[in-house]
Amino acid sequence: MEETENQNLYQAILEKTNKGRTVAVATIIATKGSVPRKIGAKMLVDPGYDLVGTVGGGCGEGEVIAVAHQVIESGNPQIVHVDLTEDILSLSPAVCGGTMEVFVEAVVRS
Amino acid sequence: MQDSVQDNLPLNAAMAAREVVTAKKKGEAIALVLITHGPFDTLGGRVAIKRSKDGELEKIGSFQDDNLNNQAMELAKEALKSPHTQRKTSHGLTVTSGQIYKLFVEAHHPSPELTIVGAGHIAQPLCSITAMLGFNVTVIDDREEFVTIKRFPEADRLMEVDFTKPFKDIVIGQNSYIVLVTRGHKYDFECLRFLLRSTIEPSYIGMIGSRRRIRAAFIQLINDQLDPDRIARIRAPLGLDIGSETPAEIAISVAAELVLLSRKGDGVPLSQKENIFNRFFKEE
Repeated sequence: MEETENQNLYQAILEKTNKGRTVAVATIIATKGSVPRKIGAKMLVDPGYDLVGTVGGGCGEGEVIAVAHQVIESGNPQIVHVDLTEDILSLSPAVCGGTMEVFVEAVVRS
Repeated sequence: MQDSVQDNLPLNAAMAAREVVTAKKKGEAIALVLITHGPFDTLGGRVAIKRSKDGELEKIGSFQDDNLNNQAMELAKEALKSPHTQRKTSHGLTVTSGQIYKLFVEAHHPSPELTIVGAGHIAQPLCSITAMLGFNVTVIDDREEFVTIKRFPEADRLMEVDFTKPFKDIVIGQNSYIVLVTRGHKYDFECLRFLLRSTIEPSYIGMIGSRRRIRAAFIQLINDQLDPDRIARIRAPLGLDIGSETPAEIAISVAAELVLLSRKGDGVPLSQKENIFNRFFKEE
């Protein structure tokens, strides 16, 4: 029922942008192999303040957050290719064995 | 100041968010189609396709290319078809201008409606868990002092009802789930018979009870000449067998059954299904 999760995320986008904040939204648009979240999972990044939702946690998410900052700076959307296939025996929680494509865009009040 | 949606332009993310939130409030399904690959100035543009309760499709916003708009409509129709969330990325599309685009669609369906009939010990943890799972939860009972916000802080609606017409103020549809856990089997049975007599069948009817009581209830329903196919679909006793004893454990078992049905799972432990040790590490 990630449905509700995403609807709450849209609510959060509205609340943030209505307050005049510029935020970034990351959406998983494609996956391959074993990844922690499914296509459609979203995360909102409000730099320095807040994170809402998750695109999987761990290293992959760190990469997405870094790109979110760039996207807010530039205003230009980017696609992040997250590779979770390395070092499957490291037992790190971030290692799942798959790859995913994450669309990251800045959102301003409309 | 909010920009208004212009029918001939794409929506930005904030406009799209507004459409999703509004559709949720109205109980409508909506699909968003987003450009993820394409000419730089088109990236992040969206159209929304909304389906009203009577099935009418309405497009909000527009891409600058008819092929893209048609493709968006096709993707949205497909995604809105099933109440199970549909999300996917289209393969590369070449449109008239010679540009290659990729579209991403995500559908948002209205939250499932759960009615818990009987506001007792099982209802409390069940309300908490199912609210967490994303159900809109209504709890009804004929005892006013049981249907209180203090007992059910996560419920969307609390109603004191007469068990002879329990669903008077509840709209039952294909998005409805009903759990019968009143304090007395005769009330569960009356509610069950009421549901079977109505022309619309909810997605789920679960009733608590012992084998003997459930058998007696089914005999009565058959004698009342109610549809045997519908009787067979009643989940009674409700829940998965996880050895539950306490109210919280029973609530987990019922909630697990609801997830299992909505996600089409099979309830088998994953360790047993994957059987990784025996498949990969056991010497013959």
